[in-house]
Amino acid sequence: MQRTYRVIYPLVLAALVLSACAPAATPAPTDKLAEILARGTLVISTDPAYPPQSELNPSGQRAADTKCAADQKTAGELTGYDIDTAVAIARGLGVEACFVTPDWTLITGGGWSDRWDISVGSMTITPERMEPLYFAQPYYTTPAGIFVHKDNLTLSTAADLAGKKVGVCAGCTYEAYLNGTLQIPGETINFAVTGADVKGYDTDTFALEDLSLGDGARLDAVITAVPTGQGFIADGKPLKQLGDPIYFEYLAPAIDKAASKDPVAFVNKVTEVVQGLLKDGTLRALSVKYYGTDLASPAANFDVAALKQLP
Amino acid sequence: MGLKLMAQQRHEHSLALLRIGAVWAVLILGLTITLTQLRIDPGYLVRRSDILFKIIDGLWTTIGVSLLSVAIAAVLALVGALGRLSDNALAQGLSGFYVSIFRGTPLLIQIYIIYLGLPQLGLQLQQAGFRELGQLFILDALTSGILALSLNYGAYMTEIFRAGLQSIHHGQWEAAEAIGMTRWQILRRVILPQAVRIIIPDVGNQFIAMQKDSALVSVMGVWEITYLANRSARLDSKYMELFLVAAALYWLLTIVSSFFQSRLEKRMAHAYER
Repeated sequence: MQRTYRVIYPLVLAALVLSACAPAATPAPTDKLAEILARGTLVISTDPAYPPQSELNPSGQRAADTKCAADQKTAGELTGYDIDTAVAIARGLGVEACFVTPDWTLITGGGWSDRWDISVGSMTITPERMEPLYFAQPYYTTPAGIFVHKDNLTLSTAADLAGKKVGVCAGCTYEAYLNGTLQIPGETINFAVTGADVKGYDTDTFALEDLSLGDGARLDAVITAVPTGQGFIADGKPLKQLGDPIYFEYLAPAIDKAASKDPVAFVNKVTEVVQGLLKDGTLRALSVKYYGTDLASPAANFDVAALKQLP
Repeated sequence: MGLKLMAQQRHEHSLALLRIGAVWAVLILGLTITLTQLRIDPGYLVRRSDILFKIIDGLWTTIGVSLLSVAIAAVLALVGALGRLSDNALAQGLSGFYVSIFRGTPLLIQIYIIYLGLPQLGLQLQQAGFRELGQLFILDALTSGILALSLNYGAYMTEIFRAGLQSIHHGQWEAAEAIGMTRWQILRRVILPQAVRIIIPDVGNQFIAMQKDSALVSVMGVWEITYLANRSARLDSKYMELFLVAAALYWLLTIVSSFFQSRLEKRMAHAYER
């Protein structure tokens, strides 16, 4: 027995050393954009948990003639405003759109290890996210709104939420708003809600479900995207919106700064493509299709150069 | 044994089965009544059968992930158990450390660390010039999930395998050595065939647990039952309906595996029947 081990250890070590020293093959492109164009696919991350931005298409089939890898989804298997925008961006680059669907928390922190190229996931530009990520031109805006139970008669303004149980998705911008720490580059926030009892949820939808249980049963209010809340109301949930939107978010494609290939040219190219889609009305039409209203056009006013993010 | 006595035993046996069946029927009726009291819309599943079938699609991923993981875990467990029982300090230390670390930390955390952490090592290796080796560390979601499940369950199963191997009396090792078998021959021909019978019920138990723990790989976006149920539920806010579908699918899956497990156990027990 002892003898066998004495033979095996050096063999294993030698194998490890040899495999580590194997010479590198042909040099790969050092630029992210060049890599994507050479590959012929744009790999996009999306979390299909947020209709109508990104949702499953239950009857969708995998495209037969796809270049997407086996663990990636093709455009037909998903649907939504983010999905259609991502497909339009890929078309603008002249490549096929392929999707991966990691949990949202795995997307926002950066460090994607080249598993996907870009997030087209209705991501708000925030200073925290600008640390690990580059943002291209925003492709639409989302008004944030307060939702309360239909039966509620006591709450009438944002300031009334002081001391009330307010549900938000944990780690989202709505939570930062309630904590008074939200900063949106290019916008001055008026923190109208102070001293609320913040209840963090995995996603907004669970908070809205809890609010639907009854006025004050588990929550007094939920802060979420106006389209998300209105979608719940359209589904027949007993909710109503309280007043006007409390602030607007700019939602932009995000690209990992830690990508092993230089992403700067890629960021600029995506900005150029999105600006084109805003100008020619593609995104306005998509917004009307999915939200019933034009949330896209105001995004054209955003000056992405003011973010001062590119080296 | 008299024929009469055997007939009497058979009769009692079927009566007992009948009684247990009756209890199950009452319980299932009770469960159904409870479920109808929930605010659910069963007709939704008929109207949106495309969603129902999409979730059933996820069954294959769940089965594939669990089967592959339990197979790799069994190999890890055998190696780990041999390590724990070995006289060699390095083998003992390695397997003990492995079991301690993977049994002592939550599976979900292991999934995150393998999915997020391994690629960072890979990228550093690539920057150091080992491109091919570094690439091996950048696993896709499915592979990361299978790796995490295998490592985690391999650690639990190491202890099961160790107990199984130890349950074979040491005299058998000595007897086999006396007739000139090598250690590997003894293990393969004498010890393992007997140990497997003792190991199988526990491994089956672990397999059932794994089928449900495979739901955790949904955090990386693998389209298995839980992921598809969760994401489909958001289409029309039908959480209760689709989570019940997911629960039913897991239940069905474990009933089928329990059935095969008991078949396997009966087969293994043949040699010991009188």
